[in-house]
Amino acid sequence: MGAFELNTTISNLRDLRESDLSAYHAVYLGNIYCRLFEDNFLERMDDLKEGIARVKDQGLRAYVTSYAAPRNDALPKVQIALETAAAAGADAVEVHNLGVLRMVHEQFPGVPTHVGGFANVYTDVGAEVLREYGAVRFTPNYEISLDEVAGIARGAGIPAELQVHGKMPLGVSDYCFLLEYEQHWPEKCPVLCQKQLFLKQGDWAMRSVGKGVLSGKDLCMLEHLPALMAAGHRVFRIEAAYETPEYRLKIAQIYRVALESALAGDETVDESAWQVIREHTAVGLCNGFYFGRTGGEYIGKHVEAAAAC
Amino acid sequence: MVELLAPAGNLEMVKAAVENGANAIYAGARGWSRRRDAYELSDEQLHEAIAIAHSGGVKLRVAINTNMQSCEIPALLEKMEKFVGWGVDGAIVTDVGAIAQVHHRFPHLVLHASIGANIVNNQDVKFYHSIGVTQVVADTKLTLRELVARKADLDTGIEILIHANNCYTYLGKCWMSPYFRLERTADDFGKDLFRGSPNRGGLDYRVCLEDWELFDGQALLEPHIALKNEAFFYLDDIPALIDLGVHCLKIQGREYPVPLVASIVRFYRELIDAYLAKPTGQAFDLMPWRLRLEAIRAERDSKRSNMTSVLLNEARQPVPHTA
Repeated sequence: MGAFELNTTISNLRDLRESDLSAYHAVYLGNIYCRLFEDNFLERMDDLKEGIARVKDQGLRAYVTSYAAPRNDALPKVQIALETAAAAGADAVEVHNLGVLRMVHEQFPGVPTHVGGFANVYTDVGAEVLREYGAVRFTPNYEISLDEVAGIARGAGIPAELQVHGKMPLGVSDYCFLLEYEQHWPEKCPVLCQKQLFLKQGDWAMRSVGKGVLSGKDLCMLEHLPALMAAGHRVFRIEAAYETPEYRLKIAQIYRVALESALAGDETVDESAWQVIREHTAVGLCNGFYFGRTGGEYIGKHVEAAAAC
Repeated sequence: MVELLAPAGNLEMVKAAVENGANAIYAGARGWSRRRDAYELSDEQLHEAIAIAHSGGVKLRVAINTNMQSCEIPALLEKMEKFVGWGVDGAIVTDVGAIAQVHHRFPHLVLHASIGANIVNNQDVKFYHSIGVTQVVADTKLTLRELVARKADLDTGIEILIHANNCYTYLGKCWMSPYFRLERTADDFGKDLFRGSPNRGGLDYRVCLEDWELFDGQALLEPHIALKNEAFFYLDDIPALIDLGVHCLKIQGREYPVPLVASIVRFYRELIDAYLAKPTGQAFDLMPWRLRLEAIRAERDSKRSNMTSVLLNEARQPVPHTA
């Protein structure tokens, strides 16, 4: 890995083909929420092989993710996806489920394993257990603070991957409520959940992707990147599984420049970058739980920008 | 023999659970379990609860199943030292690190992986078994059919929730509530209560039960969306669960009034005993039990609805920030 890594998530081959990934260093392939997501890489092994090859051909690292909460009946497919990832030369697999971590550890010991945010890493001693099971990187549970993350990475001796932009996961279900209503709407499963659907009540908003619930606001750590770098973090994700290729590109270009500047000791972010951020946010910005506060809050100098979206 | 496990949100509930036929009771250590602190027990109360339970021939398990902070693990182990010294019969834990640490310190203590661990497949069960867990709480989405298919592959005890909430999201994998309100408050002993986080402090504002509107961009698509979150009682599946050899039938409800919890425990005690007493091959008529359960259900629904209103109102209150 170079000085830092900026990565993102892409759910299917069409989205991969349409995305300009020039600002990224790595890509996670697959949709973690739903087996029925349109042409999900995790269900289509030929697509997954082609996806891995396409990403690597661009000089990027190809990671293969896995389901957030796979029940027993999904494990055979998970097994096949892991086999495909290993055979096609994926640079790592991401696991959110500790049963799947055990499968990778026992059957694919040479494949680097990233532990995902749904694996519930809350403590350094927890991360140590997962490291013994082969984890080489962890995404902390989304509701812990940066202070806690630093302590876990230090204590467990493995680096953290931090989401720095995009809708933050708030939950996962085995059930899609959209299916109850889809007969009233022109779009049906498996494309319905890709629309910009928001659950709202008063000033509350959440993005619904069917089996997944995401934050309504976009988590945005743009002005805090120097602090993240100073704390030693080097792996950053733009969560874009349900975003457009344009979002994936524009947001990444901003973060790539800002991260390189932060690494060089320059903390300034061009004002035009904030304009782009505003244009690509439907509800507003937040910092998640990184500062130990309510997840939907935004803390920093750009409060007005965050609220003005 | 299947075990009936009952909740204890206070000392009165401990006594009621013992008197009404529970085989085991679980109680949360204040600040450390997946319920708000009002429904947890202080260390002194836990000491007394263990004595009450044991005097009635009932086991007591302590719930220490929040996802705590790394810096709180030493305090957790100190607490466990006390509880084990007082004769606690087991601990219910979520965090894999906490499980490993408690198992290392107290290798003979029975450890239960909490509902918060969100164990959804057999590989999960084997993972938790490998770090010291001997019983796991099955997730609330587990169907009887899936359990039948899974059980043959497992040598770890499975606890089935027979009264609980079936949330829209998986328990242990949801942080909707603190996304809207999280209040950081330490108790007298320095334990962060993380009010608003069901995983970290136990208080869940039940924001999923809000009357949501669904928008496609700026256009209103549906004016009323209910994310499923239903409280349930098992009845029809109880005979099959007993026949399957399920280790434990667990009642949730530390937050409910003592008389209601007492009636739930009594109901299941008598149901289990009646089923076990029936001659082999004789049909078991659930109809009278169904009628009896309806009255309990009505009271539970009324209490739950009131609690939900209070919690949703609380979720809208501003968070007092300290410097």
